[in-house]
Amino acid sequence: MFENFAQLTTTLTQTGGSMPAITPKSAAALAVGLAALAAGYAERGIGSAAVGAIAEDQDLFGTGLILTVLPETLVILALVVVFVVPTPF
Amino acid sequence: MSASGPANYEYVVARVRHRRASLFGDDEYRKLLRMGTGGIARFMEDTAYEASINRLGSRYSGVDLVEYALNDTLASEFDSLLRWSEGRLYDQVAKYLRKFDAWNVKTVFRGLYSDATVDEIRADFVDAGEFSEEFLERLVAADSIETVVETLDGTLFGPYVEPAFEDYEESGTLVPLENAVDRAYYENLVPRRVTNQDSPQALYAEFLTAEIDFRNARNALRLARSGASVDPEEYFIEGGTLFEASELASLVERKSDLVDRIRESRYGDELSAALNDLEEADSLIGFEHALDRALLEYSDHLSYVYPLSVCPVLAYILAKEREVDNIRAIARGREAGLSEDEIQEELVIL
Repeated sequence: MFENFAQLTTTLTQTGGSMPAITPKSAAALAVGLAALAAGYAERGIGSAAVGAIAEDQDLFGTGLILTVLPETLVILALVVVFVVPTPF
Repeated sequence: MSASGPANYEYVVARVRHRRASLFGDDEYRKLLRMGTGGIARFMEDTAYEASINRLGSRYSGVDLVEYALNDTLASEFDSLLRWSEGRLYDQVAKYLRKFDAWNVKTVFRGLYSDATVDEIRADFVDAGEFSEEFLERLVAADSIETVVETLDGTLFGPYVEPAFEDYEESGTLVPLENAVDRAYYENLVPRRVTNQDSPQALYAEFLTAEIDFRNARNALRLARSGASVDPEEYFIEGGTLFEASELASLVERKSDLVDRIRESRYGDELSAALNDLEEADSLIGFEHALDRALLEYSDHLSYVYPLSVCPVLAYILAKEREVDNIRAIARGREAGLSEDEIQEELVIL
């Protein structure tokens, strides 16, 4: 199995020529996507707790909203990576 | 809502915590203590009891209104707990709320024993458990204790109540039957085997073990105090860690040993002040209230340590029940003409 894998990677590098299999930009895009996924997962728990709190007391809407979107900062920070990574061309 | 799918701890815990925080505090109790029964009902109208008071207000008044509104709110409150929770959480809450099934069964037994009317029995029901309204109606409609025992056949209580019925016929007292109901409830409550010590199942077991231990301790002390010639093992509830059934008999005979035993247990720290009081003043009521308070504190402690578990929900159920008991004590005490200090002693306030 490992032999096959090694073969595959050699073919991949050969067909790609001097280009890497995945460009730096697309790697950064992947990072943003994963961060968004994590933020979504975090918001799932916070969101349901916030809705529970709001159901009990309408005044908690503001607090609930802020706490719910806090994990979005993860995505914003990950977005920075896209600009930091240099374009290969 | 249903017992399938993942548990939604976040949602239920957030709601329950909010409700826990808006239960009556020191100030409210102090106000209530100065009111008459009518005033208490009016005060409750501005709180979580509003809906029940408004609905029942046209039919009852005074202390009856307070009493019915308390039972009604308790039932609807715990029904909504079941409506919110899903998955394993639902399972655990439902099991715990069978407490009210046990309460209802005991109410029927006591009602039949004391020849109460159907309406009187029905008034004392707390419709929060697993039994449907239909089934409760069938229990109320029963004309003798034997019929009730037959009706219970097939439920959780059946296998426990049936042998106890023979004892009841021999002795003519309700104690064996009530005891059987309690044992049926507690022994089906704690998960049989808990493998993973960090799992929610283990937490649930830990909380319930504490409750069973406290109940055993209370029973043991009551027996020790009354000096009744009953076999303490019959009152023993399995599942606790504090006592073994076999050693209970000897502990009950020597009260100082019993107190020492509780002091050395893992609840010793929380109960030490109460145990000192017990040894000095020899007042059992004070100690029982201290046990209640310790259980409340322990449940709160567990719910802070494990926020995403069933513990906050159980802590809320306990606290709510306590609040209802407190208000009832105030209303009843007022009606009976007790002084403020006397009523104050009956309250368990954290």
